[in-house]
Amino acid sequence: MPSAIHASGLTKVFPSGVVGLDGVDLVVEPGERVGFLGPNGAGKTTFMRLALGLLRPTAGSVSLLGHPVPAERMAALAGVGFLPGDLGLVRELTGRRTLDDLARLHPRPPALRDALLTALDLPDAALRRRVREYSRGMRQKLGLVQALQHDPPLIMLDEPTAGLDPVMQARLLEWLEGRARAGRTVFFSSHVLAEVDELCDRVAMVRGGRLLLVRSVQEIRRARVRSVQVTFARPTDPAAYRVEGVGDQVAVSGVTHRFTAAGDPGPLLAALGRLEVRDVAVEPARLEDVFRALYLTPGGDAS
Amino acid sequence: MRVVLALTVARAWRRTLALALALMVFELLVGLSYASVDQNQIRQVVESLPPALRALASGADVASPSGYLGTGFAHPVALTLAAALAVSVAAIPARDVEHGVAEVLLARPLAPVRWMGAQALAMAILLAAVVAGGLAGGLVAVWTVDDLASVSPGGLVLVALTAWLVALTIGAATLAGAAVSRTGGRAIGIGAGFAVVAYALNYLAQVWTVMDPLGRISVYRYFRPAEVLREAALPWGDTLVLGAVAVALTAAALALTARRELAP
Repeated sequence: MPSAIHASGLTKVFPSGVVGLDGVDLVVEPGERVGFLGPNGAGKTTFMRLALGLLRPTAGSVSLLGHPVPAERMAALAGVGFLPGDLGLVRELTGRRTLDDLARLHPRPPALRDALLTALDLPDAALRRRVREYSRGMRQKLGLVQALQHDPPLIMLDEPTAGLDPVMQARLLEWLEGRARAGRTVFFSSHVLAEVDELCDRVAMVRGGRLLLVRSVQEIRRARVRSVQVTFARPTDPAAYRVEGVGDQVAVSGVTHRFTAAGDPGPLLAALGRLEVRDVAVEPARLEDVFRALYLTPGGDAS
Repeated sequence: MRVVLALTVARAWRRTLALALALMVFELLVGLSYASVDQNQIRQVVESLPPALRALASGADVASPSGYLGTGFAHPVALTLAAALAVSVAAIPARDVEHGVAEVLLARPLAPVRWMGAQALAMAILLAAVVAGGLAGGLVAVWTVDDLASVSPGGLVLVALTAWLVALTIGAATLAGAAVSRTGGRAIGIGAGFAVVAYALNYLAQVWTVMDPLGRISVYRYFRPAEVLREAALPWGDTLVLGAVAVALTAAALALTARRELAP
């Protein structure tokens, strides 16, 4: 089965000389849920536009669902549902007409439209109104419905939760999880780490047009340094639990030890299990920490 | 393609209707006003005008029924009404790229050339509606003003056809501009600039013989409604030039669209 997205050395230099994307190699397999993270101007949107053939690469190549873009762009796009980050809709049309017209431009029938309208709480009365009367959140919902109504094999969403309230964000993530379980590929960009953490199998991080890392969420969590606080039953020598990954600096205050631990926590927990421990507190590894560490480090490369 | 065509028509039908009505009223008023003027007086007045003002009539005999009514179609007001629609509709693709509408449409399996082709077709249909408004006004005038009875309704239809072709060239130039523009404003500027320069060249060529060769590159040089009405026959040479310019500019717009980037 061909990769859902296969980018090789994908580079985009704009006429102004700005490097939008710099030699990105990225493979997304069918059925994967991949979060595309990066700050503003990192190259997330440029990557998606290149993948969809809306921009022409300066170098490199990209294919969607096994179809090279732009050579087989029409075949590639027949399997894609896309929500742009800066959604543009015809303001004079009603929501219903917008969905109907966009559906007619896609070869797959809009089989999931009604279910999506219900899930995203977009009632018929709202669809009868013109798009120019819509709030930002309603426009975003309409954009999501047009992207997802065809149940496309490859879902590409550029900041899909922008403008949605927390309830709708949760429903959207739930919906996407459902589609991923049904075998659809979900590729979406975001600044919101929590939603990537919640939904994705893998994370790709970009900055300044360069791909900094592509890792599974599990792997990132495992590699991440955690803060650990252990309260022993009696005074204990730190050497008793020092295993690979435990930091050199251990703050001892009576029977309470504070230290950092990196990587797989299994050996540390096994070592602690051999001691008399009254309490253990391990701060969960958060994707946010990886993100901050990478983006706050000049030229940070964690791959 | 039909979806894009319908979308463009849906977005522009109100302004099309307004401009069609305006052109209808204008041509009707021009026709009705012929009944209230003395032909000899008009001729004397026109002959006494300096060449710069006489050139506005493009050398037509404005005292004659066909010259008077034909001048109404070549009047700056009539030309502006048709050009306004041509420019505003043809700039839609550039506005759509600017505002991200094109990104939503073209992320579907829709070839950019077909998208632009549909816009060109929509523009041609909407321009036909506006010109039909002018034709209707002219026909009503011919049927109600006795002094215009000598004007052939068939000739008016031919005038409308050439007026449509002139407007199409303006629209096609704007479309070519839209194919290379990132903003609707720039495309409108290119289209309006094309129309104004073409009008100015044609006008200056009539009042200043040195400019005559440049007048030949103006599309308005090939729009002579008074002559068409007088002869009640299609001027094939002019029609072919206008048609060729419209087709060439539309082809250029399609070729440029195939090569352009389509994201904002």
